[in-house]
Amino acid sequence: MKRSICYLLAAAVFVVASAGFAAAAAGPNQQVRSLLDSYKKEAGVKSFSADEGRKLFNSKRTHSVKKEERSCTTCHTADPKQSGKTAVGKVIEPLAPSVNKERFTDPKKMEKWFKRNCEWVLERECTPKEKGDFITFMMTM
Amino acid sequence: MKMKKFVLPLLSAGLLLTGMATSSTVFADGRERGERNERNERGEREERGDRNGGRTVPPADNPAYKQECSSCHFLYQPGLLPARSWGELMMTADKHFGESLGLDEKTVKDLTAYLTANGADKQTNMRSRRIADSISPGSAPTRITEAPYIVKEHRKISKETFSRPSIKSFSNCGACHTKGAEGNFEEDFVEIPKK
Repeated sequence: MKRSICYLLAAAVFVVASAGFAAAAAGPNQQVRSLLDSYKKEAGVKSFSADEGRKLFNSKRTHSVKKEERSCTTCHTADPKQSGKTAVGKVIEPLAPSVNKERFTDPKKMEKWFKRNCEWVLERECTPKEKGDFITFMMTM
Repeated sequence: MKMKKFVLPLLSAGLLLTGMATSSTVFADGRERGERNERNERGEREERGDRNGGRTVPPADNPAYKQECSSCHFLYQPGLLPARSWGELMMTADKHFGESLGLDEKTVKDLTAYLTANGADKQTNMRSRRIADSISPGSAPTRITEAPYIVKEHRKISKETFSRPSIKSFSNCGACHTKGAEGNFEEDFVEIPKK
């Protein structure tokens, strides 16, 4: 009896572990992959650069009206694996998919937040190239 | 025999409690009796908890409102500002205190309808009533933190306290009001973070 419970447990652990591994190895889901493809087409590039994405994430800029320095890291902190805080103190869950598996899974949500936040930092929308680089960088985190 | 000794005191305690509950219900209906003895009664009534609609501001229950408005800040209950203030705020949704919200037209319309239908002036709870009463009819402040009642209730909190890293802003209700999301702003549930 004891032995069969052991086997069952081992099997359960295996199933859970391999499912987790598969999810991590799968990278962006189908919808996000096609979003990235459409960005590539619009930008006229073959691939995106995680390094450019990192630069964008860390670049600082002074807002023309508010006269304050802003960057992605203002709210998200310099480490995408950490949670951040908005200007009025609300906690923001980490951006890195490795610690927050909901990130970069829903194209509609991604587009909405690119629009809002690119305008907050850059006072304009981000280009398809910038968005592709940003996602690619986050996928490596 | 021993049991009997307990029954009588228990019964009388029960009767007493029922009596108290009934009398507070009568007080809760105080508004019906007009504003007679308002000064004497108001304090007492509010102490006990009622000005018809209790002390709790109904929590925000609209899915679109939750989704669109609580990612960046506390999910302010519609009952924290009068309807005309929400109308004003939503008319400038493209420049929300200087920031773009990126909301489409339909969402703006839906949110406006929800917020104005449930504004402080449409509520019966004590907090919303007091907020609504504190704002002069001719004005429509768009910041809850500028409503005279809210200012008065926080007069003892210093600017330094609001700017502590874990609070960051007077607008961050939930930092200290531990049951704020449920619309409970009672002092008993306030915990001001030290840092």
